[in-house]
Amino acid sequence: MSENGLVTVTVDERTVQVPKGTGLVETAQAAGIEIPVFCYEPRLGPPVGACRMCLVEVEGMPKLQAGCTLTAQDGMVVRTAATSPMAAEGQEATLELILVNHPLDCPVCDKGGECPLQDLTFRYGPGTTRMRFAKLTVEKPIPLSPLVALDRERCILCYRCTRFSEEVAEDGLLIARNRGAHTEIATFEDEPYRSPFSGNVIELCPVGALTSTLYRFDARPWEIQNVPTVCTGCAVGCNVSATIREGKVRRILSRNHPEIDRGWLCDKGRFSYPSLRAADRISVPLRRGPRGLEEVSWEVALDTAEELLRESRGAIVTALSGSETTELAYALGKLLRRGLDAHSAVLPEATSSALDAFRLPLSAIAEAELVVVVGDDPVVERAPIVDLWMKEARRRGAEIVVCSPVGDVQVAPGHAAEWCRELAEPGSELGARIRSAERAILIWSGPGGGGGARLAELAYALGLHERPGSGAFHLPATPNGRGVAAAWSAAADVDETNPEPIKLLVVSGDEAAADPSVRALAEQSERTLVIAMFHGLAGGWADLVLPATGALEREGTVMNLEGRVQRLRRAAMPPCPDELTWIAELAGRFGVELSPHPAVVYEEAASILYRDLSLAAIGLRAGLPGRAPYEAPAPATTKAPMVEPSRRDERFVGELRLQRVRTLFSGPAVERVPELAFQRAPAEIELSPAEAERRGVTTGDRVHVRSNGISVELRARVNRKLVDGVARIADEHAGDLHAAVEVVRA
Amino acid sequence: MSAGLRERIEEVRALYPEPRSAILPALRLAQEEHGGWLPPAALREVADALDLTPAICAAVASFYDQLHLEPVGRHLVEVCTNVSCALVGAQEVVEAFERELGIAAGSTTEDGEVTLATVECLGGCGWATVVAVDNRHRLRVAAEDVPAIVEELRSGGAT
Amino acid sequence: MAGRPELVFAGTDGGAVTEIDDYVARGGFAALAKARAMDPDEVIAAVEASGLRGRGGAFFPTGRKWTFVPKPETVPKPHDLVVNADESEPGTFKDREIMLRVPFRFLEGCLIAAYAISARHVFVYIRGEYEREFEVLRSALEQMRARDLLGEVTVVLHRGAGAYICGEETALLESLEGKRGQPRTKPPFPAVAGLYAAPTAVNNVESIATVTVVLEVGPEEYAQIGVPGSTGTRVFSLSGNVVNPGNYELPHGITLRELIYDIGGGIPNGRALKAIIPGGSSTPILTADDIDTKLDFESLAAAGSSIGSAGVIVIDDRCCMVQLGIRVSQFYEHESCGKCTPCRVGTRWLTQILEKIEEGRAEQADLDLLLSVCDRILGKCLCPLGDSDAIAVASYVSRFREEFQAHVDLGRCPFDGASSLEGILAPSAMHERLPVSVPVSA
Repeated sequence: MSENGLVTVTVDERTVQVPKGTGLVETAQAAGIEIPVFCYEPRLGPPVGACRMCLVEVEGMPKLQAGCTLTAQDGMVVRTAATSPMAAEGQEATLELILVNHPLDCPVCDKGGECPLQDLTFRYGPGTTRMRFAKLTVEKPIPLSPLVALDRERCILCYRCTRFSEEVAEDGLLIARNRGAHTEIATFEDEPYRSPFSGNVIELCPVGALTSTLYRFDARPWEIQNVPTVCTGCAVGCNVSATIREGKVRRILSRNHPEIDRGWLCDKGRFSYPSLRAADRISVPLRRGPRGLEEVSWEVALDTAEELLRESRGAIVTALSGSETTELAYALGKLLRRGLDAHSAVLPEATSSALDAFRLPLSAIAEAELVVVVGDDPVVERAPIVDLWMKEARRRGAEIVVCSPVGDVQVAPGHAAEWCRELAEPGSELGARIRSAERAILIWSGPGGGGGARLAELAYALGLHERPGSGAFHLPATPNGRGVAAAWSAAADVDETNPEPIKLLVVSGDEAAADPSVRALAEQSERTLVIAMFHGLAGGWADLVLPATGALEREGTVMNLEGRVQRLRRAAMPPCPDELTWIAELAGRFGVELSPHPAVVYEEAASILYRDLSLAAIGLRAGLPGRAPYEAPAPATTKAPMVEPSRRDERFVGELRLQRVRTLFSGPAVERVPELAFQRAPAEIELSPAEAERRGVTTGDRVHVRSNGISVELRARVNRKLVDGVARIADEHAGDLHAAVEVVRA
Repeated sequence: MSAGLRERIEEVRALYPEPRSAILPALRLAQEEHGGWLPPAALREVADALDLTPAICAAVASFYDQLHLEPVGRHLVEVCTNVSCALVGAQEVVEAFERELGIAAGSTTEDGEVTLATVECLGGCGWATVVAVDNRHRLRVAAEDVPAIVEELRSGGAT
Repeated sequence: MAGRPELVFAGTDGGAVTEIDDYVARGGFAALAKARAMDPDEVIAAVEASGLRGRGGAFFPTGRKWTFVPKPETVPKPHDLVVNADESEPGTFKDREIMLRVPFRFLEGCLIAAYAISARHVFVYIRGEYEREFEVLRSALEQMRARDLLGEVTVVLHRGAGAYICGEETALLESLEGKRGQPRTKPPFPAVAGLYAAPTAVNNVESIATVTVVLEVGPEEYAQIGVPGSTGTRVFSLSGNVVNPGNYELPHGITLRELIYDIGGGIPNGRALKAIIPGGSSTPILTADDIDTKLDFESLAAAGSSIGSAGVIVIDDRCCMVQLGIRVSQFYEHESCGKCTPCRVGTRWLTQILEKIEEGRAEQADLDLLLSVCDRILGKCLCPLGDSDAIAVASYVSRFREEFQAHVDLGRCPFDGASSLEGILAPSAMHERLPVSVPVSA
């Protein structure tokens, strides 16, 4: 071994130097040589050597070796099928055996054309079969879930999917059952595979055994194009490819950004795209007339919008979603603020740049020795991929401490900031452990916290800014809250004013339109202009609805929770003009100069926001800026929910405090994909064992949850980990319940 | 789940550094509790007692021949038909049981009393034919011994 | 047989020693005391010097295996001793008799081995079908616990649940960790990363019981018994078509003739000897011509077979070798864990080709295909299970080629329904014919 830690390996007479311990598959790759594999997938943990596709000859070893299980050793001499007849025979043998029970139904298989089994058979396999017996046949395909179809005849039992379930998602739901030739992939009692990450098994499957029910029979690989873009389902910003056929998005695949997602996606990100074609998608402008909302021409719509804006000058409030591109937010801001002095905007949550002083890539979580999570919401509901990084950290030996209403340390809902202050105290035992850890990660997962400001104060108090392996993350509720807030403030250099009364409320995006506090604001406003994709949300109360585009239809940039600026590409043509075109048109009518081109808007915004970071520099896999110096958090850029729902009645004193959990599988897009319904939160209320006992309630009982005249019937579930005094309900099932509730058996 | 079963599973769980190691003994206990097989409810109980998922329990249970995921009779008769037993007449023993019980190997009598099966080597090759009756090994069983064994089972003698 | 040096079974007088007082009265636990007075490395050195090699089937030197377990000071994780009592190799039934008749000698060996490798935990993985053996060991262990013989060692008796593959050491470890018993890739070897990824020695029951013997009689004395390279005694399991089947503890190096005829009483009913499987069903078959082969590692290797687990199956002239192939292949097919492709698919394919030959439907090419499929399994699997099937079946063809040929030429089985294995119902065939069990009413 040379001094630099490199070893020299000869593969098919080509010599290559790699770090000692590099996998043999990667070593051969470095020499430009393929060792074919099916089961090998380093992201699933240690190699298992199951499929035997990777057989190679290694000098000094009498038998063929599974290349995937070996690592590079100095002086190793390896021969693959290219130069070793023995290896070639071994690989052909493996393929012959793999194909013994494979149905060879390639013409009707979704995987056909992009199938490793086809490709490797073509390159290494036998041209004919000597198998003359009936193949094993079973019922097929069977639904593994509404999202994933399983064809057990095509399955070659590489165990990638079950290893993903057990070793990565750690859900313990997808299993191999029976033994030997009767082994098959299954779930318990054929229940649906209900994991937030289930779709990854489709991409992992090297054959057509696991396919997407949403993509099945939709396209042939030679008819499609893959557009590299970024998921905006949450603030992680997983890198994805959108598969396009005939101008429509047919599926979403991962596009492995090793620092962000490592090639994993959650099912929300992977399967929400059919919402682009939802039945209630708005494609033409709608104006309120004598018979409710009526379709109008764009000419009329823009004239109406101009009139609404002009009449409301100085009394306009804008409700943003936080899912807009930075460009869209900047353009809106420039139009409304420079053109109409409408400086007031609300975002669903506060944002802050204070955590930039503790910046790390998400992948650093895997390296941590201690991860401390604070906040009311489970990480998986806010930023699912972060949950996978934490699981990997735990597998590597890290300690994970969750401080939440259901955590290892029980913290009542709404008390996360208080808990952070406690951790910062010199007497805190956990705080001391964070202080002394070389690689400690803090994560805020829940509402409040000033967009990370409270966590930044804690991180600073614990000295994390001085430790390059330690850092802190805030998991926001919106995918681009920081980008939107920054763009809004960059659009004009004037302080905000809060108009009273509000003459016009501009609602940007479906999330804002679905937000009860925005609806409450709309009630106070004389008129409302809504920019939305879906009819159902704004239909009742908007005066003018302008159609919106979806993230997969947009060019632009978004900033993820690490503070990384990433680029969206238009994958599909929207059924309506891009927002920027008509915002630019309106801007012109108010004397504001604005380009309709996202790249030009980006350049203008970036010169203020990102020190001229160019789109080219962002590239396909965006980099992460370095840490910023710590500055004690300033007040949040925009105030957290400006208006509380007016129906809250503080005089009512209930028995339990209601915790509304915003679940991953919720929101306008998810609600429009029927196949995702099984992933949504069940209509349940969670109670601690003590609270349940006090009310004579056990898991499975129907209960009435009441507050001040409102009653909701739900199924009870006793959660051993839940703190006392709390009723925990998924937001979508909590209806109009108030903050304090009583629970009685139905 | 009966309190007794949970308690016994807790006991075996405590024997191992990792709870999952107790899965085989726990499944065995649950099988005894559930009349010789593991209905879904039994797998859920074991999962609950060991902090595992029912799917993991099913994956493990389905791997092992002694754990049954389908109902079996009150008595289980297993005849070894591996080479050493086969060479000295195991098939005659199988057929004698089939005749006496009136069923084919691999099935259960209609009254749910006896399940008859052939099994792989029971590790009694020198004492062929080996027949496991409710997991107790009978050695040197010949076809002519079968009526008495069946009679014993029918009269509730065994177990 | 007079003059047979019983070591493992010493002091039993043909019976069992299951009361601790009896065992102590016969000098029991002296070996343990002797070992504990030595340095652990000296214990390992003694076992190495005895020439003891693994009795499970691989014949790997036991002492050397222990030297691969890192010293506790270099790897601070707890070390484990795992005893493989999952005896399942067809033709082999010696470990069960050891556990039944000399449970204390075996458990004493566990404690000596644990001492040698600094293990705090001993897990004895007993095959699930061995119920009485489990009970005998449990009682013996209780008696030892009552006498405070265990010291700081925890001994756990762990019952398997019916899977031949768990006799493979890494599959056994997976099973012991509560998983499906599927073998792991090696390296890492168990000595480095075994149970719960901690350093682990995995030894067979007879090996461990013999460790006690080695300490009792001394390594030099022990090495004098048997033949060079295969020292000491071996508990041979004798079964099949033989007058006196059973377990016989004999020195390595006696001949098959001595075992089968002098001790085993020969072939019953005046039949002729046709074939011998010398080391459990995984080993290549021998013919009657090999009757003077010595039962030791090198002699059997020279004869083209292997001593394996020393399970000697005697086959008389009524047996059709194609039927034998089917039955053996059905076993491996049934027991294949399903993890690696060649074994999972290949064992089943072998059975199918053999059945076609037996049914008289085979063409000449099918014989070639049979051997080719054996080749395509052999040396390409994750663990030895698939290889075992290929080796066994290929050996039947090579030793009894004319019999296989006759099936093709005649278009039927030359035994005409008179073979001793005719119609034998394997569990794998039963599974395909009918479900293993049918729903019962109520």
